[in-house]
Amino acid sequence: MLHPAFYAVLGHAAGTVLLSWCYFRWYRVTRPPLGVFNLRDVAIMVVSIVLVPYLYLALPTWLVVGLVVVGVLSVLYLVWEPVLRARWGIWLATLGLAVADVGAMHAYGAVSTPFFVINNVVLVLSTVGVANLWAQSGMKARDAAVLGAALAFYDFVATTQLSLMTDLVARLAELPFPPLVAWQLDGHGQWLGIGMGDLMLASVFPLVMRKAFGRAAGLTALAVSLGALAAVLAPFGWSVEAFPVMIVLGPLMVAQYAGWAHRQGTERTTWQYLQAEPIVARSGPRG
Amino acid sequence: LFGFFQGGAVFGTALAQLRVASSIVFGTPFDLGSFDRLIEGVRETQQEFGGLGSGAAELLGPPMLDEQTRREVQLRRFRTQAERAARETAYYGALFAHLGLDPARLRYEDIRRIPPTPKEALRADPDAFVRQTARPVLRAMTTGTTGWPTSVAFSAYELQSTVALGGVGALASGRITPEDIVQHSMSSRATVGNIAFAGACARVGAQVYMAGLVEPAHALALLAERRHVPGKKPRASMLVTYPSYLGQLIEIGPGLGYGPADFGLESILAAGEMLTEGLKARCQRLFGPTRFVENYGMTETLPFGGDSCSEGHLHFEPSLGLLEVLAPDTSVPAGPSEAGTIVATPFPPYRETTMLLRYDTQDVVRLPATAPLTCSLRNLPSTSNILGKLRLSVRHDGGWTFPRDVQEALEAVEDVPLPARYGFWAVPGGVAIEVVARSDTPAIRRAVARQLEEHGVPLRELRMATDHGQLRHPIPLRCDLREASFSSPGPSPATTDMDRREGLVVGEVR
Repeated sequence: MLHPAFYAVLGHAAGTVLLSWCYFRWYRVTRPPLGVFNLRDVAIMVVSIVLVPYLYLALPTWLVVGLVVVGVLSVLYLVWEPVLRARWGIWLATLGLAVADVGAMHAYGAVSTPFFVINNVVLVLSTVGVANLWAQSGMKARDAAVLGAALAFYDFVATTQLSLMTDLVARLAELPFPPLVAWQLDGHGQWLGIGMGDLMLASVFPLVMRKAFGRAAGLTALAVSLGALAAVLAPFGWSVEAFPVMIVLGPLMVAQYAGWAHRQGTERTTWQYLQAEPIVARSGPRG
Repeated sequence: LFGFFQGGAVFGTALAQLRVASSIVFGTPFDLGSFDRLIEGVRETQQEFGGLGSGAAELLGPPMLDEQTRREVQLRRFRTQAERAARETAYYGALFAHLGLDPARLRYEDIRRIPPTPKEALRADPDAFVRQTARPVLRAMTTGTTGWPTSVAFSAYELQSTVALGGVGALASGRITPEDIVQHSMSSRATVGNIAFAGACARVGAQVYMAGLVEPAHALALLAERRHVPGKKPRASMLVTYPSYLGQLIEIGPGLGYGPADFGLESILAAGEMLTEGLKARCQRLFGPTRFVENYGMTETLPFGGDSCSEGHLHFEPSLGLLEVLAPDTSVPAGPSEAGTIVATPFPPYRETTMLLRYDTQDVVRLPATAPLTCSLRNLPSTSNILGKLRLSVRHDGGWTFPRDVQEALEAVEDVPLPARYGFWAVPGGVAIEVVARSDTPAIRRAVARQLEEHGVPLRELRMATDHGQLRHPIPLRCDLREASFSSPGPSPATTDMDRREGLVVGEVR
């Protein structure tokens, strides 16, 4: 019998992936007016992913909190913008969630069900926003696969060979907006969680595969992502060990990309994708 | 990590954009690699999304400055350029010593104390304007329609940054696309303009071919030629040429059997001369509906020049150079609605080799009236379209008559062959005009006189000619800078629609 935390975390993870998929078809985020997400951005991102944890461990707490708050607010604003449209509504929803997250942490503590509930909502929405920003900024399936492969290697080293990830999670878990979708395992401060980075890759890959190779490729990637997350989380329903999720997700992404690229050749551009599969406009395209 | 995950998107392009923008704002030399990445980013964006995102025009366009900031920015740039010129050029070193002005302490009001640099001075001793520390690689010469060619030296950096700037401008405006095939029919001696334009096309990804000023029949055959380049349009989609040469094409095209169905022209960039409404209207009959792009630029001030807006004004980007319009009689700044000559100072970081401060272009324009402009470029300093060279303009009892006044009138008359060949001079009470017409009949004379009157030209004498060799004082036209060619002026060996109609081709030639 798996622990209820397994179902809670997997439910949030599945919700994130599915919500990203729906959001991708329903809303257009405000993408940068110039530039396309490309391999150079992937390289910059990988280098930053390697360096940023050290920065977060080295910086004073107030500065880390400041950076995280600014980041979360901007991502939440980005997510709500095409949904709510009215500026006051966007700010209300954004600030409301942020205040609730900080308030729950102060009122109930960092390892408490109320805090996990609110923070999970913030994390799910943030992941949906970032995944859509990447995919709607023209990220190619190839670039996502390269990023997945690089992060698989990094995650393996940082999680199993170094104490970096454990230290980082331990530090951020004490602050507002910890980048984890998590749930309490027991009343002694134990919890089960999955990192936002893993969720982001699991969410963005179905989107870029759909854009690149069509609905079938996207749905396949979505099913594979959900299956992989379930498979990875299941053994941890009764354990508290850290596990590098990307070593499972990364190779699966590479394999899917290779298979579809071999089968269909060139990836579609966003323009070709939208010509073939027009968006059902819930909000006018914003760029 | 959140901020990074959001900001990380298209980070490379954003960084390049920042570096280019900082050079524009602070006047520091461009990092040419950033220009390349920015252009690549624009191309990738257009390819991926089928267009640029909202706000891209603002990012790629010039900074919007209020009047006070514009003056401060321009004064700083002017000072920098004046210091370099005084320190490192023979001409301005002597001039500043003579004036007793310290270029480092110039105030905005002091700029007017520096006498405009006449074209004759540059023409007489171009090397006196070249900085000692510069590394000139090109001596560009004007086509010399107003006399001995004027020389301007350029460095490799200047050429590269001008090309990159042109590429960004073309991509941002959408005037040239990667699918375009561009016929470039300009004089081969307009070197720097040709390099800049061809380079900009290459950056955009359009295919350009330098047709030159060959026999008009040859140029038409090239325009009608069917092309089979993957990813490109099936025929030349853009023509870059002088209005007078365009006039020649329009004049002979129908006689050779050409009509709109034979061409795929979508836009015509007319440069180097005045483009009239009459010529535009007559052009549509040969090439069909075509978009005209007009701008103003000259070798001496490149890349500082004017872009025309939808309402026909010329707008000058303040970070590229200082625009002044001086009254032709008094050399004081012209007032609203008054005519004057453009006096231009190209700024760093675009200009670093040939220093020109307050260069008198002798190109006449009129300043806008005091009423605020409503066009899309209203925030940029503006003038009317070019009215002609001051040397070719005529002062008479009733004021000035400029070449544009006369040319607009003449090219609106069907019986005046294109390009209008004419001359005019002052006579008591107005001007005398000579013009080449298809024939000298009373009806044509009346039509010409009526048009001139409608365009406000005080006509006192009209002399008709049927051949331009009969003109006494003809205005020079760039179409006469004709280049020899070994190729026959007949149709292209490749298939044209005219060939098909006439049954000349049995198998498609690829």
